[in-house]
Amino acid sequence: MDFTFSEDQLLFRDSVRDFLVNEVTPERVRASWEKDDGRDAELWQQLAELGLCGMTVPEDFGGLGMNELDFVLLAQECGYVALPEPLVNTALVAVPVLSRLGGEAASEYLPRIASGELRVAVGCSENGLVEDAAQAGLLLWAEPEAFYVLTAEQFSTRYNPSVDPSRRLYAVELGSDAKPVATGDQAQALYQAVLDRGALGAAAQALGLAQRMIDISVQYSSERQQFGKPIGSFQAVKHHMANVAVRLEYAKAPVHRAAYALAEDAAGASEAVSHAKLVACEAANLAAKNSIQVHGAMGYTWEVDLHIFMKKAWALAGSFGDTGFHKQRIAEHIFADGAALGAGTTFA
Amino acid sequence: MKLSFSAEDEQFREEVASWLAANLVGEFECVRGRGGPGDEHQLVEERKAWERKLHEGGWTCIGWPKEYGGRSASIEQQVIFNEEYARAGGPGRIGHIGETLAGPTIIAFGSEEQKAKYLPGILRGEEFWCQGYSEPSAGSDLANVKTKAVFDEASGKWRINGQKVWTSLAHESEYCFVIARTDPQSVGHKGLGFFLVAMDQPGVTVRPIEQITGTSEFNEVFFDDAECDASDIVGEPGEGWKVAMGLLGFERGVSTLGQQMLFQNEFDAIIKLAKENGAAQNPALRHRIAEAHIGLRIMRYNSMRMLSGGADGSLQKEAMIYKLYWASWHRNLGKLAMDVMGQESEILEDAPYELNRLQSMYLFTRSDTIYGGTNQIQRNIIAERALGMPREPRG
Repeated sequence: MDFTFSEDQLLFRDSVRDFLVNEVTPERVRASWEKDDGRDAELWQQLAELGLCGMTVPEDFGGLGMNELDFVLLAQECGYVALPEPLVNTALVAVPVLSRLGGEAASEYLPRIASGELRVAVGCSENGLVEDAAQAGLLLWAEPEAFYVLTAEQFSTRYNPSVDPSRRLYAVELGSDAKPVATGDQAQALYQAVLDRGALGAAAQALGLAQRMIDISVQYSSERQQFGKPIGSFQAVKHHMANVAVRLEYAKAPVHRAAYALAEDAAGASEAVSHAKLVACEAANLAAKNSIQVHGAMGYTWEVDLHIFMKKAWALAGSFGDTGFHKQRIAEHIFADGAALGAGTTFA
Repeated sequence: MKLSFSAEDEQFREEVASWLAANLVGEFECVRGRGGPGDEHQLVEERKAWERKLHEGGWTCIGWPKEYGGRSASIEQQVIFNEEYARAGGPGRIGHIGETLAGPTIIAFGSEEQKAKYLPGILRGEEFWCQGYSEPSAGSDLANVKTKAVFDEASGKWRINGQKVWTSLAHESEYCFVIARTDPQSVGHKGLGFFLVAMDQPGVTVRPIEQITGTSEFNEVFFDDAECDASDIVGEPGEGWKVAMGLLGFERGVSTLGQQMLFQNEFDAIIKLAKENGAAQNPALRHRIAEAHIGLRIMRYNSMRMLSGGADGSLQKEAMIYKLYWASWHRNLGKLAMDVMGQESEILEDAPYELNRLQSMYLFTRSDTIYGGTNQIQRNIIAERALGMPREPRG
């Protein structure tokens, strides 16, 4: 039993963090909001050159052959900067699912995804809306009974503006020539894979978002003075941040546990994912609420960067299964007859 | 990262489970599932006998180094022991203060003489310990200890005067570890000593405190010229705070595992009741039960993460966070238990004031967010030490 990440995993995380913090500034995020397609082709190419687009692509197809556990720390960093580009959905959801599907689709598309040339969007019917569907050259669409791999001319999109201007959401309509590449049990497994990996990606980003909001608020409350003292010295203020720190710190282990379960194809992985999604999104939600309070009236302005992160956390909380969905999955698990709950079932 | 147990560990699990199955029977049937917070005052003699039984099987102090009679059990094995102990319905460990606090402190900071004098009694389940920290004027401001220890050259003994309060199991203990001021001119953290004091002596008086449960597991302890030997101070005079803080580190380490398994048993009892009385069909309660389950799992994962050193350098931060998390979680569990009971929660087991286990748990959990550092003090520590926020002005 070992909950630690390897030195390599941590070093890679650190180098990606440095890159993202330097390159993906709040100004750059705001700039992407103003664009019609919301995307930054130069940034995507940079991410591809760092090997991030192909990080989970098998080595035979030009990637680094890493898994969900290797990527989860990077997804947290994507959250930390509120990265608008769909890297998490690409590397943590689309690529592993396409690899599972295998066959021609995998060998044809994975190398092009790894190089950054092909943008891929992924969605499932639990959500309905698909991020970046109109920007993508390829769509993976999962329904419980049918799984589709569609090129741009095989589906049409309708834009649905999100509260997070970074997110570009689309309703998709499959063309008349769209045929599922998998049905029955295989489609069910792929549907589950999309939903669980998507939820894990949202959870990991939520951790990063919560950390960012804490950092911003701690800095602000250490500088802002009232009654002749930094407001952060007052208990009524600092306890708000302590509460967030507790939620965040304790949400990490469930997220890492879920990533491990998916990477290992372990039993109970879906339950672990629901657990992770709920607690990570709660941490980000509390971070947002308390950070705005700590900022006072400034927290309510468009000018202060806080809302960039608050809005992404808000949006992600509903994606790939909302709170009600995931809580229901947990309730079903614990009320099942013979549920594995007690001693010896920690990792069951 | 490897989130599973090895074949060797599973074999160890088998060994623990079969020993418990063979021994937690007969005269020990009555202690099954008893003791622990809120029930700590019950079946004391039987539970002390159980401690001796555990020792016979080599199951006390398993995390201690072999040279002191432990098993040098790995973290995994300690996790497994605690899981199986709880699964079998093992009673609340009356020896836990000695095993998880006094013992490790003596091993880490004590002299060879202290180790020889005190460790065997803890190991054998024959000598029990209590903790003399809080005082009437030293609660959240723990460093404001007024109890004094003066070395009497004539008798060669330390003479201790003062009062401790909220001392769990003092009336059942052979020894108390006491922080007391060795430098009468000092204030705050400085000038304290850490003493090992025998309870059975004329200078020590224990008075139980009646709690809102109507029962007593906390006490006041009065020291009136109580004595201990020159060799019964751990560390040097003036180092008491350092030793006491080291001890708090142990309190938040492995000892959390046993506590969580007690929580698991309480949670299981709530689920069982909810299924029986129909509360499990109520969406509002279902939702809260699911939340409680999530919180319990969070504590399990984080303890294991903390113990496997997996907090990338923030181990200290995790340890600070744990008390606030579990105390708040447990307080909520108490309320949940009452809501699952519904109207039945009002009815006493018997007059004059006999509570059932869940009612007793509900009341006891009102104290969880206070003892061992209130939630408010914990939040100060987290904000100032973990987040680096400005310190609040203190007098």
